[in-house]
Amino acid sequence: MTRRENVERQEFAEERASLWKLTLGPVTWAVHFAASYSLTAVWCAKLAAPQDDITLLRLIIGAGTIVALVVILLFGLSAWRQWNYTQTGRATHAFGDAENRHEFLGHAATLLCGVSFIGTLYTAIPVLVIGSCT
Amino acid sequence: MPHRREGIEIFARKPTAVVAGAVFAAFGLSACEGPQSAFGATGADAIQLETLFIVMLVGAAILWVAVNGLFFYVTRVHTTSISRRLANGVIIGGGIGLPLVVVTALLVYGLSIMPDQRAEGDGLVVKVTGEKWWWRTEYQPLAGAPVVSANEIRLPTGSRTTFELTSERVIHSFWIPKLGGKMDMFPGRTTVLTLEPVTPGIYRGQCAEFCGESHALMAFKAVVMEPDAFDAWLEAEAAPIQADPQAPGAEIFFGEGCGACHALRGTQANGAVGPDLTHLATRESLAAAALPMNREALAKWVRNPETYKPGVKMPAYDHLSDEELDTLAGWLMELK
Ligand code: HEC
Ligand SMILES: [Cu+2]
Repeated sequence: MTRRENVERQEFAEERASLWKLTLGPVTWAVHFAASYSLTAVWCAKLAAPQDDITLLRLIIGAGTIVALVVILLFGLSAWRQWNYTQTGRATHAFGDAENRHEFLGHAATLLCGVSFIGTLYTAIPVLVIGSCT
Repeated sequence: MPHRREGIEIFARKPTAVVAGAVFAAFGLSACEGPQSAFGATGADAIQLETLFIVMLVGAAILWVAVNGLFFYVTRVHTTSISRRLANGVIIGGGIGLPLVVVTALLVYGLSIMPDQRAEGDGLVVKVTGEKWWWRTEYQPLAGAPVVSANEIRLPTGSRTTFELTSERVIHSFWIPKLGGKMDMFPGRTTVLTLEPVTPGIYRGQCAEFCGESHALMAFKAVVMEPDAFDAWLEAEAAPIQADPQAPGAEIFFGEGCGACHALRGTQANGAVGPDLTHLATRESLAAAALPMNREALAKWVRNPETYKPGVKMPAYDHLSDEELDTLAGWLMELK
């Protein structure tokens, strides 16, 4: 193994952490989604009669949504910094060297956080308009 | 030469496109009329669904035109290279911003009307059981005893009727497109649907879940009436038979054992395998809308039901002579 290869290897290993970061936005969205749906399912099956008012459930999901959105926003911000677009102005990462990879992962994570933000919002829209379990 | 070939190709394609368009339009238009169309809705729920459809269609059209319009613009109109800012604007504005706004608006609107579609009933309760291949009905008015009937749904305007739906053996689905959405009927379970008819008239319902050979022939007439007319009908429907149970036709009916499967309230016929026939002749159609309600159709039906409904659970009476069948049918037409 040449020295250059060795360095590359090491840099790539460091990047593993941000490979995980890539999933944080979508995972938050998924957790929010699963929690909202299962909570509603249990609530409507066990706690509330079909025509009962479910304001409390709506408030809980609303609060959970705000938390999820803030979390996604924070992940998004960190990813945005990693992308470093304001400094470099780079939207493509053509060289595939360590710096490029770093920025590319930040770029991808930023976009995924954007999608997750919208997805989480959409998941929560029903609590704005639906007032009972039916 | 390549130009010419292109020209010929386009020319050759055009007639197909025109024919396809015409066929499509014809189908589209023909589906807009008739007693079973979801267009021209006559019930509160169906009117709301129709509006929902139009709104969704307009939303989809706006998105389609805008997104493809931008695509057309950058591939056909403005084919020279464009500035980064414009490119970003087109992609972010047209590809993300616009769909986001339109889809969000549609989603909020669609969700907001969902509770209305499941509003609670405030009047009559009708129990409907899906059978192979007919409908057992029982009307439970706010005051008074339940009334058993079959193969037709009558509803008053001005209130929201509750349907308690179930099924005997297989899954069926209850659907009157002019009045509202559909609801499946399951053996051993009760599902609930409420409908609020607005305009009196005779509409058509159809089983909307494949249930066997005669599934397509499992339909019914839905008769929407003014409340007073409805009350009068229900009172008449609750009464025992009005035809003479000693008439020659009646003798054939009882002699052939029809009463083992069919009930005629006020006589010894109390079978429950087939539809209640106490007021058969008041129905708008015969055998769950498979045939018209008249003497000839009745005679043909009794002679051999299988001809009109494959797999039917009623035996043929082809050993009866034409005169006997006619006499029987004439008497059945007196079951008002
Ligand atoms: C073995 C049971 C059985 C016997 C016996 C039987 N039927 Fe039926 N009948 C049925 C069933 C089941 C249906 C419903 C068929 C369908 O629409 O799928 C039916 C439907 C009908 C209908 C249509 C009812 C409606 O609501 O439109 C008429 C009329 C009728 N039968 C008359 C007769 C007469 C008359 C006899 C005797 C000559 C007779 N049936 C004997 C089972 C029976
Ligand atoms: Cu059916």
